[in-house]
Amino acid sequence: MEKRILDLLNKAGIEEYRITFFTERTAELFFVKKQLDTRRIKDVAKYLVTVFRIEEKGGEKLKGAIDVMVLSSMSDDEIVKAFKDAYFAAQFALNPYYDAPKPVTAAPAFKTGRLAELAPEKAAGLMAEALFAADNAEGAFINSAEVFISKKTMRIVTSTGTDVSWTDAKASGEYVVQAKEPEDVEMYRQFAYTELETEELTRQVKEQLTFIHDRARAERILKSGNYDLILTGENTAEVLSFYLSRSSAYMIYPGYSRWAVGDDVQGEAAGEKMELTLRAKAPYSGEGIPMIDRKLLDKGELKLAHGGARFCGYLGLEPTGDYDSFSCDNAGSMSFEEMKKRPCLWAVTFSDFQMDAFSGHFGGEIRLAYLIDGEKAIPVTGGSVNGSLLEAQKDIVFSTDRFKSEHYSGPYAMMLRGVAVAGTDAE
Amino acid sequence: MFENLTELRPALKKLVAALDEKFKFASVLAVSERFRSWRASRSGISIGSAGVRGFGFVIRVFDETGCAEYSINEFSEEMIPKIVSEMETRLAEEKAALPDGVTPLETKIPEDTPAVIRKEASYKIDPIEMGDEAILVLLNRIREKGMETEGILDMMVNVSCSAERKIFLSRNRDLDETHMWTNAAIVALAMRGEEVKDYFRPYSILGGAELLEEMEKDVPSVTKAVLELLDSEPMIPGEYDCICTPDVTGMIVHEAFGHGVEMDMFVKDRALAKQFIGEYVASPLVTMHDGSAMNESATWSFDDEGTPTGDTIIIDHGILRTGMCDALSGMRLGVAPTGNGRRESPERKAYTRMTNTYFEAGESTVEEMIASIDYGFLLDNPSSGMEDPKNWGIQCMVNIAREIKDGKLTGRIFSPIVLTGYVPDLLKSVSMMSGKIELSGCGFCGKGYKEWVKVSDGGPYMKARIRLG
Repeated sequence: MEKRILDLLNKAGIEEYRITFFTERTAELFFVKKQLDTRRIKDVAKYLVTVFRIEEKGGEKLKGAIDVMVLSSMSDDEIVKAFKDAYFAAQFALNPYYDAPKPVTAAPAFKTGRLAELAPEKAAGLMAEALFAADNAEGAFINSAEVFISKKTMRIVTSTGTDVSWTDAKASGEYVVQAKEPEDVEMYRQFAYTELETEELTRQVKEQLTFIHDRARAERILKSGNYDLILTGENTAEVLSFYLSRSSAYMIYPGYSRWAVGDDVQGEAAGEKMELTLRAKAPYSGEGIPMIDRKLLDKGELKLAHGGARFCGYLGLEPTGDYDSFSCDNAGSMSFEEMKKRPCLWAVTFSDFQMDAFSGHFGGEIRLAYLIDGEKAIPVTGGSVNGSLLEAQKDIVFSTDRFKSEHYSGPYAMMLRGVAVAGTDAE
Repeated sequence: MFENLTELRPALKKLVAALDEKFKFASVLAVSERFRSWRASRSGISIGSAGVRGFGFVIRVFDETGCAEYSINEFSEEMIPKIVSEMETRLAEEKAALPDGVTPLETKIPEDTPAVIRKEASYKIDPIEMGDEAILVLLNRIREKGMETEGILDMMVNVSCSAERKIFLSRNRDLDETHMWTNAAIVALAMRGEEVKDYFRPYSILGGAELLEEMEKDVPSVTKAVLELLDSEPMIPGEYDCICTPDVTGMIVHEAFGHGVEMDMFVKDRALAKQFIGEYVASPLVTMHDGSAMNESATWSFDDEGTPTGDTIIIDHGILRTGMCDALSGMRLGVAPTGNGRRESPERKAYTRMTNTYFEAGESTVEEMIASIDYGFLLDNPSSGMEDPKNWGIQCMVNIAREIKDGKLTGRIFSPIVLTGYVPDLLKSVSMMSGKIELSGCGFCGKGYKEWVKVSDGGPYMKARIRLG
């Protein structure tokens, strides 16, 4: 199919293009409690061709790009017509010119490890086994779960000389834990690993079963006010993703973010100054740009604006590829246990916790929090957090305890001072 | 459109016949989507062509372990023996790898009552025929008009159109439908300091580019709203008398209540609603529907499991009558499916999902509703929401709360707003509904944090007591 597409691009007279070849094989298991609801397998192969058109108008060099999804069942004539139609349409989507990424050719990068080597069907069974291994807590259990094992191959070929390929494997899914007494409650949790992390999954499920036990006896006693708020795990990652979004060329070029390299983006801060690093999850970006770890913030100073060829090109920057993974390198100033020794609100889970990169606001409805007076930790539920990171970033404390997930590694906990919380007292 | 599926239909029937010899039941869903999007913003102009549903096939079989599926996106008659072999081998391997103690969830074999459906998409103007140039000229004109307003950082204008054909075949069912929805949006941005505020005006239709005719006139109100947001104040937490615009009513219908009556949640004992069938869960002013009675983006004649759709009355004058149901959950619960088995794409599992979900209209006017409030808010411009079927907790976010004092809008704006509370408390507090309903089909709905499907929701202006933070 690869050679056929190249031949047909030539036949259609397309001079600049990028072809992405993608295959995926999966095994999927769906459970209701410990019963098998459905099992699924998948085999797909996709061929995405980006057709570029370069023109000069009024002395300005312009470039347009249109994607074409090619199906193996299409005839040669249909594919050639699709390429020609895309080239025609690209004249209406012309933007300022930008260079294609520098050409890269390399031997295929094969993912190694047990997850990559096992058949997906077998790996799915092992992850399911790990999931249910912790399902023996008193008064709490797994209500339902989904397990996905995905093995992918990617190849990117461009008219400018790039030809790179790699393989990937991922174990992901979600589960719901439930406790029935004294209140019938549940909590939802996702997981995603690039290795066969069976022990970590079992540990995580065990932790969730502890949380749901507390959630079942949580009281609706949270009063409205401003709290020193502790966020942990994925919620820490969600708040810090603000810096990843705001430093992207995609936001800087149109002026949605005014950040520039060298700016102290955190401003005057009594707490920790941010140390962030962009982390490469795949060897190449979707444009074939080699992905490496890159320092993003050094003591709150922006070291890099990141993004693909187009928007980095417009800003006169070397394209880095698009990142969705980062680490917070702050070592932290106190342990999580010490952090909880002063009055605060530890918000463990929300119904949906969100960080708005445009407004700087973060928030969500609290499913489980611990109201801590310095000694006791009382489980509470209800109410909502509505904070502004633009304010809160002036005084952040990180824990020395660490946390790692698919898109984030760094401190497990962060404390933000004086965050507005709407309590349940208004009900 | 979609002649490719017409050519494949005879071979798909042979595939079903071949699988019927090996398994207790077999069906195939074939999907082909033609998608195109157009966008103009400060970032530039773009034309996109990658939709959500794509092209592919879901083969469903039942064996002694229950329901199993195989998703593929390449198919020909020559591939039939290989497909049958792959399903036999890999599904057996998957079963063999299951941990000890896992048992099949008992599921009856589908009855597969005979059904034949043929339906063509209805639209006035196919955006593809209107052409990329004409659409982008219009979008640029709208954008430039917005950018003339002082203080506007950006005006993003976008349009997307999905045309799709689905064929469902089993031994006794032969269903075939094409469908087209078009969505559009104007998003205005304004900035003060480091904070960027946005205001979003959505448009949707079960149809084509005829939708675009109404957009341009709205530019002044969109730019006015985003500039007002720059002077917005943080909400003082509390419970208030509120009037929800139809968009906000729709978000409450969908997020706060709709997800809780998806009956796959009943199978898992994850929905509190299961205990409240036949009971008052809302004010007598509340009657809630889901299904294909309204022409909006999620109107189909059959779902992704081959079940014909209809009009499901979920709440009838305050009393919870039933939930909505996919085929597998229906067989497990012993109830008839309601045509709500939907998939993000042929690559994904079907779950119980909403379609067009809305509250019926009442008899009040919006003016009467505002005049009835001593102190409260008009809630506008929903931004996000999250379901809580187990505990009926509400989490919905809206962009704007407009202050009402002594029966009049004061001009003060509060933002952003989090709506919380207990769903039946909110629905039982509904005291007025306006006389006209509006549905918006611009959004996609996730199940938890994934499985995005096209839905619409809405209703009338609705007065209720709501906790805001």
